[in-house]
Amino acid sequence: MLQIAGLLLMMLGLYGLLTNRNVIKIILALNILEIGLNIFIISIGFVRGGEAPIFSSETTSNALVYVDPLPQALVLTAIVIGVGTTALGLAFAKQIYAKYHTFELDEMGEE
Amino acid sequence: MNIALFVAIPLGFAFISILHKKLAPILLIAASLFIIVGLSFVQNGETVIGGFEAPYGIHLLMDSYRLTALYIVNILFLSVVLLNIRKYHQMSTVLLISLTGLNGLIMTGDLFNLFVFLEISGISAYLITSTNKNPLASFQYLVAGTVGSSLYLFGLILLYAMFGSLNLADLSMQVSQLTDKTPVLLPFLLMFLGLGVEVKLLPLNSWVKGILKDANTLSGPMIASVYAAAMSLVFGRILIDLFVFEGRFIVIVSTILLVSILAGEAMAYQSKNVKEILLYSSVAQAGLVVLLFVSGLASWALFMVMANAISKMILFTIIASASEENGDDITVLQGIFTNNKLIGFSFTIASLSVIGLPLFMGFVVKMNALNHLFGEQMFLAIIAILLASVVEGIYFVRLLLHLWTPSETTVTFDIRMKAVLFALAVMLIVFGITVEPIESLKDTIEIGLNVGGTSWRI
Amino acid sequence: MANIELLILITLSLGLLSYVLYHFSPRLSSALTILGSFFVFGSVLYHGYIGSFDVSSTLLPYVSFSSSALSIFFAVIITFTYAMVSLFNPYFLKTHKAGNVHNLLFLSTLAFVLGVLFTNHFMTMFFFFEAVVWTSLFMIPLKGSKSAAIMYYRFSAFGSFALLGAIFLLKANSGTFLITESLAVVDGAHQLVIFILLVVAGMAKLGAFPFHIWLPEVLGKAPDHTSALFSGGLEKLGAFIIVFALVRVAPVGATFAAIDLAWSRYAVAILGALTIVFGTLMAIRQDDAKKLLAYSSMSNGGYMLVAFSLMNSISVMGGLYHVLAHALASVAAFLAIAAVARQTNTTKMSELGGMIHKMPITYMVYLIAIISMAGIPPMGGFISKWLIFQAVINKGLIFVAVAVFFGSVGSFLYVFRPLAALFLGQELPQYKKTLKEAPSLMLLAMLILSVLNIFTGVFPTPILKVINTVIVEMGMNEVVLTTFTIEGFNGLLHPGLIALVFMVGVFVAFVIFISLKKSKKVGLMDTYTAGNFIYTEELMHYSVDFYAPLERLYEKYIDIARNVYRSLDHKIKEFARLIKYFIFTYKPEITAFWVVLILILFLWGDIA
Repeated sequence: MLQIAGLLLMMLGLYGLLTNRNVIKIILALNILEIGLNIFIISIGFVRGGEAPIFSSETTSNALVYVDPLPQALVLTAIVIGVGTTALGLAFAKQIYAKYHTFELDEMGEE
Repeated sequence: MNIALFVAIPLGFAFISILHKKLAPILLIAASLFIIVGLSFVQNGETVIGGFEAPYGIHLLMDSYRLTALYIVNILFLSVVLLNIRKYHQMSTVLLISLTGLNGLIMTGDLFNLFVFLEISGISAYLITSTNKNPLASFQYLVAGTVGSSLYLFGLILLYAMFGSLNLADLSMQVSQLTDKTPVLLPFLLMFLGLGVEVKLLPLNSWVKGILKDANTLSGPMIASVYAAAMSLVFGRILIDLFVFEGRFIVIVSTILLVSILAGEAMAYQSKNVKEILLYSSVAQAGLVVLLFVSGLASWALFMVMANAISKMILFTIIASASEENGDDITVLQGIFTNNKLIGFSFTIASLSVIGLPLFMGFVVKMNALNHLFGEQMFLAIIAILLASVVEGIYFVRLLLHLWTPSETTVTFDIRMKAVLFALAVMLIVFGITVEPIESLKDTIEIGLNVGGTSWRI
Repeated sequence: MANIELLILITLSLGLLSYVLYHFSPRLSSALTILGSFFVFGSVLYHGYIGSFDVSSTLLPYVSFSSSALSIFFAVIITFTYAMVSLFNPYFLKTHKAGNVHNLLFLSTLAFVLGVLFTNHFMTMFFFFEAVVWTSLFMIPLKGSKSAAIMYYRFSAFGSFALLGAIFLLKANSGTFLITESLAVVDGAHQLVIFILLVVAGMAKLGAFPFHIWLPEVLGKAPDHTSALFSGGLEKLGAFIIVFALVRVAPVGATFAAIDLAWSRYAVAILGALTIVFGTLMAIRQDDAKKLLAYSSMSNGGYMLVAFSLMNSISVMGGLYHVLAHALASVAAFLAIAAVARQTNTTKMSELGGMIHKMPITYMVYLIAIISMAGIPPMGGFISKWLIFQAVINKGLIFVAVAVFFGSVGSFLYVFRPLAALFLGQELPQYKKTLKEAPSLMLLAMLILSVLNIFTGVFPTPILKVINTVIVEMGMNEVVLTTFTIEGFNGLLHPGLIALVFMVGVFVAFVIFISLKKSKKVGLMDTYTAGNFIYTEELMHYSVDFYAPLERLYEKYIDIARNVYRSLDHKIKEFARLIKYFIFTYKPEITAFWVVLILILFLWGDIA
C-alpha cells in the first residue's frame, strides 16, 4: 500500500514536471517526486509487525523480527540532499526572477 | 596513504575555506596538488569506512582503472583551476566540494554512496555553471540532474529490494548468478537513464546546449572535460561491473547510443557557432565512449575518455577565451590563430586527435577499438564510428580553415594558458607516438576489472 | 639516396628548412624545393631502375617498407610531376598568401607520397595517406578558396575511412596488416565488402563518378601550378589503390560467362564508362580553362578504371601506360595554363586570346599536351588508348566501348577550345604591351614535358618493357613487344611508323600553308554587329557558348550527382534541426518527457 502511494507520488511529480511552465511549480514537482521516492524507499525496508531496529532493555534478542534499518538511513541522507537541491533551485529561481521579472518560462522570450 | 584522504581533505578544506575566505584559493590549489602527489603513494585495495565490513559498510576501492581515472580527472581539474583561479576565486569553496564529489564518485564501491557523491558533484556543477550568468540554463541543468539522480536512486533501491545489498562487487556476483535476468533489467534501465543524463546521452541531455553555449573558461572545460570524464568513467565502471544486457534493454540502449553518435555529429555539422559545434561533438563523443564500454572494451574506452577529455579541455578553453568579447560565430573568430601560433597549434592537435588521425592519441585508441570491434564483427558499431569520423573531420576542417585564415582579428591569450594547453597538446602527441605506456597500463587495468556483465552485440 | 626511410626524412627536413629559409630569402627557399624534388626524383629513378632500393627502417618506429615494380613505377611518375612543378615554384611566390607554408607543404606531401607507395604495412599506408590528405588540403586555400578545400576533404575523408574499413576487414580476414599477405587471402563472406570498400576508396581519390565533385573545385581553385600537382601526382594515388582492388585481389562474385568477366568488375567498368561520359560532357561546358582540364582529368581517370577492371595483360598495360601518359599530358597542360595565368591573372577563356603572338612556346607545349590527352598519334595518350580500345573491343563490352570512343571524340571537342580561345585568334589590346613569354625555368619544365609527350608516343617500347615487369609481378602474362611494335589482340601497332606518317602529313599541310595566300588581318572591333554598339565585347568572343546547341541536349541532367550530394547535405542538416528542435530547447520538462517515454517503451506489455 505504502509502495503504491510512493509510486503514485512519483508519477504525480513527473506529471507536474511535464505540465508546469512555472519555475516555482517545477521545483515543487521535483520535491513531490523526491518525497514519493523517499516513501518508496522506506516501504522497501518495512516489515509488518516488525520491531524498531533498536537494541534496548525490552528488545534484546536477535530472534525478533526487525524493520530493516538501512533504507531509513538512506532516506535521511536523500532528504538532506533533496533540501540542498531545493535550496539551490530556489536560488536560481531568484536569479531568474531578477533577470526576467517573471517565473513563467513562456514569458521569458528565450528560444 | 589512506585513500579516504582524497575525499576528506578537500571536504575539510572546503569547511575551512568558508571561515577564511582569503585562504580559499590557496586551500583549493593545495588540496588539488596534495591529491595528485598522493596518488603516486596509493596501493590497490579497499578502505573500509567506519569499521563495517563489506557488503554492510561503505568502502572506497582502488585499482588501476580507478587510479588512472583519478589521475586524469585531478590533473585536468588542477589545470582548469590554475588557469581560472584569479578570475573566479570566489568559486574556490564550490570547486573544493566538486573535487570531493568527483574523487568520491570514482573511488566508491557502494551504489548509494555513489548517489551521494553524484549529488555533491552535481550541486557543485550547478553552482559552477552559475558563472555563465544564464540562470535559466543552470536551472534546467538542475532539474535534469535531479530527475536523473532520482531515477538512479529508484533503480538502486529496486536492486536493494531484490538482493539486500548495495555493494557493487557483491551485487555483481549475485546478478551474474541469476538464471532469469529479466527482473534486474528495469532497475538497470532506470540507472542507465539516470546516469545517462550526466553523461550527455542524447534524448536526456537537453541541458547541455544551455550550459556550454554560454560557457566561460571555467565552466566550459569543467563541464565538458573534467565532469564529462569523471561521469563517463564512473558510468563505464558500473556498465562493466554490474550491468547485463538482454532483450528490449539492448534495443533501447543501442538506439540511444547510435542516435547519440549520429545525431550529435549531424548537429555539429549543421551548427555555425564554434561552441555549439564543440558541444554537439562532445555529445557524439560521449555516445562513442559508452558504446565502447557496453561492447566490453573497458580499457580502450578509458583511454578514449582520456584523449577526449584532454582535447575538449584545450578546445573549450581556447574558444571560451577567444569568444569572451565578440561571441563565437565562426566568421567572427576567423583568423584568431594568425598571431597565436602556439594556441593554434594546440587547437589543431586537439581537434585532429578527436577525429582520430595518426600521430595523436585519439588515433591509437580508435584503431585499437576498431580492431576489436572488427574481431567481434560488430558492424553496426563500426559503421557508426567510421561515419562519425568522416563527419567530424568535415566540420573540424571547416573550423580549422576558418580559424587559421589570416584576418584583422586580434585576440590575445594569457601566457599561462598558452603554456598549459601546449603541455596538454604535447601529451596527446606523446601518447599517440609511444604506445608502450598505454599498452602496459591496459594490461594492469584489465587484471583489476571484474567483468560481471555479459558483453553484447549490435 | 637508396634508403627510402632516409629519403622521406630528408625530404621532410628540407621542407622544414625551406619554411625557415623563406623568412630570409623566398627565392632561396623555392630553390630548395626544386633541389629537393629533383633529388627525390633522381633517387627514385636511379635506384628504381637498377633495383637497389634499401628498404630497411631503423629510425622511424612502427614503419616498414618494401619496394615493388608497381610502387617504383608510380613513384617515378609522381616524383617526376613534383620535379616539374617545382620549377614553377619560384615564380608563384607573389600569388600565394603564405609562400613559406606552400614550400613546406609541397615537400611534405612529396615525402608522404613516397611513404604511401613504398610501405608494406596497411596501417602505415593509412597513416601516410592521411598525412598526404592533410598536407595537400592546406595547399588548396592558399589562393583563397576555403570551400574547395572543404570539398576536397569531404571526399578524401570518405575515401580514407573506406580504406580503413577495408584494412580492418582484411586484418580480420587474414590476421595481418601486411599488404601482400593480406591481399593474397581475400575470401569468405567479407570478400565483396572488401572489394567495394577498396574500389570506393580508390575512386574517391581518383575523382571518378560518382565521387568526382571535388575534382573541378580543387583543380579549378587551387593555386595555378598546384593544380598540376593534384592532377598529375596526387590523383594518381587513387589509381594506385584501384590497382590493389582490381588487379591484386581475386575477382569477386559470379562471372558473366559470355564476356568472361566477374559482374563486380563489370560494374566497375560501367562506372568507369560513366566517368568518361560525364567528364567529357562537363568539360565541354566549361569556360574556365582549368576547370575544363579538371573534367578532362576526370574522364581520363575513367579510362584507368575501365582498363584495370578488364583484368588482362593488354588492358592493364594500357591502364598503367595511361597513368604515365595522362600524368605527362595533364601536367604539361596545367603548367601551360598556369604560365598564361601568371602573365594575365585569369584563366577564363572568354577573357583571353591571341597568346600565341607573345607566348609561342607555351602554345606549342599546350598543343602537344592536348593532342596527347585526346589520344591522337603521335603522342603518348594514343598508345595507351589504343591498348585500352583493343582490350574493350576484344571483351565485347559494347556499352563500355561506346563510352570509351565517345570520350575520345568528345575530347577533340573540348581540348581544342582553350587552344583556340587562349592562344589563337586576335591579340587582346590589354595584353599587347605587357605580355611576355614565360620565364626560363618554367619553359624548361614545359619543354621537358613536351619532349616526353612525344617520346612516349613515338618510341614507347622501353617504358612498356618496364610495365611488363610490373604486370609479371602481379601474376599476369607479359605483352609481346619488339623494338618497334606492340602486339595487340588484333594486330601489331607500329608507333614509330604512325609518327612518321603523321610528320609527313604535317609537312604537306605546312607546304600548303606556305604556298597559299596569306590571310588578311582585321582590327579587333572590326566586327559586324547589326548596327548595335557593343557594350561587352567578351560576349562577341567566339568561344562564348561555343557548343550551345550541344549543351542544350543535356544541360538539364548534368548536375545529377551534384544535386544528390546537395540534398544529402540538406537532409543531414534537416535531421540535425529536427533533433535540436525536439531536444535542445529551454524546456526543463523535456528530459522528464523522454524518460517517461523510454520507460513506457520498455514496460509496454511487460507489466505482469
